[in-house]
Amino acid sequence: MSSAPIEPIAELSKSSAKTKRRIALLLARLALAASILGLWEYAATYWVDPFWLAKPSDIAVRLTEMAMSGDLWLHGSATITNAFLGLLFSVLIGVPIGLLFGANRFLADTIEPFFLGLYSLPRVALAPLFILWLGIGDLSKIVMAFSMVVFVVVLNTYEGVRAVDRELLDMIRVMRGSQFYLARKVILPSVTPWVFASIRAGVGLALVGAVLGEFLGANRGLGWYVEFSAGRLDVIGVFSGLFALLAIGIGFNEVARAIEARFMRYRA
Amino acid sequence: MSEISKNSAVEMRDVSLAYEASIPVLRDINLSISEGEFVSIVGPSGCGKSTLLKLISGMIAPNGGEVRVRGAKVVGTPPSIGFMFQRDALLPWASVIDNIRVGLECARVPKSEHEARIQSLLALLGLEEFGSHYPHALSGGMRQRTALGRLLAYAPEIYLMDEPFGALDALTKISMGRELLRIWSEQKRPVLFVTHDIEEAVSLSDRVIVMSGRPGTIKADYEVTLSRPRDPRKVRMLPEFHALVDKIWSDITEE
Repeated sequence: MSSAPIEPIAELSKSSAKTKRRIALLLARLALAASILGLWEYAATYWVDPFWLAKPSDIAVRLTEMAMSGDLWLHGSATITNAFLGLLFSVLIGVPIGLLFGANRFLADTIEPFFLGLYSLPRVALAPLFILWLGIGDLSKIVMAFSMVVFVVVLNTYEGVRAVDRELLDMIRVMRGSQFYLARKVILPSVTPWVFASIRAGVGLALVGAVLGEFLGANRGLGWYVEFSAGRLDVIGVFSGLFALLAIGIGFNEVARAIEARFMRYRA
Repeated sequence: MSEISKNSAVEMRDVSLAYEASIPVLRDINLSISEGEFVSIVGPSGCGKSTLLKLISGMIAPNGGEVRVRGAKVVGTPPSIGFMFQRDALLPWASVIDNIRVGLECARVPKSEHEARIQSLLALLGLEEFGSHYPHALSGGMRQRTALGRLLAYAPEIYLMDEPFGALDALTKISMGRELLRIWSEQKRPVLFVTHDIEEAVSLSDRVIVMSGRPGTIKADYEVTLSRPRDPRKVRMLPEFHALVDKIWSDITEE
């Protein structure tokens, strides 16, 4: 048999094309952001009463001031930490539950209606309860974020277990691999992309949960800052808080994507 | 049916199978594969030929009759059964080397021997340069070679192959067949090879079993007298080859 490569694999040209595309994409995104901000600045200067809409330049000044005084870090770090911990616990607790459901269909079918009921319950309605139980500190925000995300993680993990390729299971079983081996070699790697998909969805939800908790009762956090500024009719403050949240959302997503790419290198 | 012969690797006696009682899949299957024999099963699609392999591997149990592997009744998966799937069933998240390693790990080969075994399998299959590639970067032929490497790493004593080269182009198919024959002639392990390609079956086998459509029954059983060692490409030029292929064709088409 010849060992000549059947498929030439053009690693080099592929990777340089990728770099080019990445640079073009970055430039296009910067151009989009610049034109939106430019249009906004123009609109806020000439068309709209500054009482309703803050100018991007004013927002930039405010954010710089906040960064200098340490307020940005004070509020930003609270929101980031709470959203992150909510997301983390959702994965740590949601994945095992999803796997358990996947391993035991009877259990899953028994719990399903109640689980979906809880999932459909607007978590906003639970926020006052969390604050009553857990106080206005960080814990109530973490639990709020957790309650937003954990359902998605459980459902996705469960779906991932159900979507495992039957033939891969048969392949290991015919070779008499142990259940543990099967889980490690086939089930967990099959479920991983599903978990990452739920994390990507969960990033936004975790921020919603943390900010929602801050709206209802807190003494710091970007949600609190937005609420506080609105109460003082400080529209620049409101928009500054929103911008900071936007930046955090983008950052979270990028980090999640980078981690996913590391885990999914086999897809290339 | 005769007594189970001492040297039969696989024996099926009056085996029948139905899904939900009303849908018969296999009926009255009597079949015996000897040690060292290369047997192909051909038949129209849906005749249950793949199901036959699943019965032998213990993935499913028959409704009637019994299946024996080396004299022992099949309950669950018997040891030393090697199964090759039409879709290669490679782990997409594992490199060629790690996919082959699955066979070694399932056979509980000590870790210290892995490296040497993997290297010799890569060399045997012409995969040396592709050890660290993931399946998605390989052609269909390379993927099936990797699957064959995993199977050989597991070192089964009986090979069940379910249309293993069915998804490959004609040229690759013949070269994989040649490779398989070379390995088989060294090991002399029994092979049960399911295919819908009559020429492939005749060119590789000692015996070709013809099945009829649903419910699947065994319709004919031909001895292939072509001499060994064989080249599955060159053998296709012989008149005896064509005579047998022709006969099997008419068996299947007269349904």
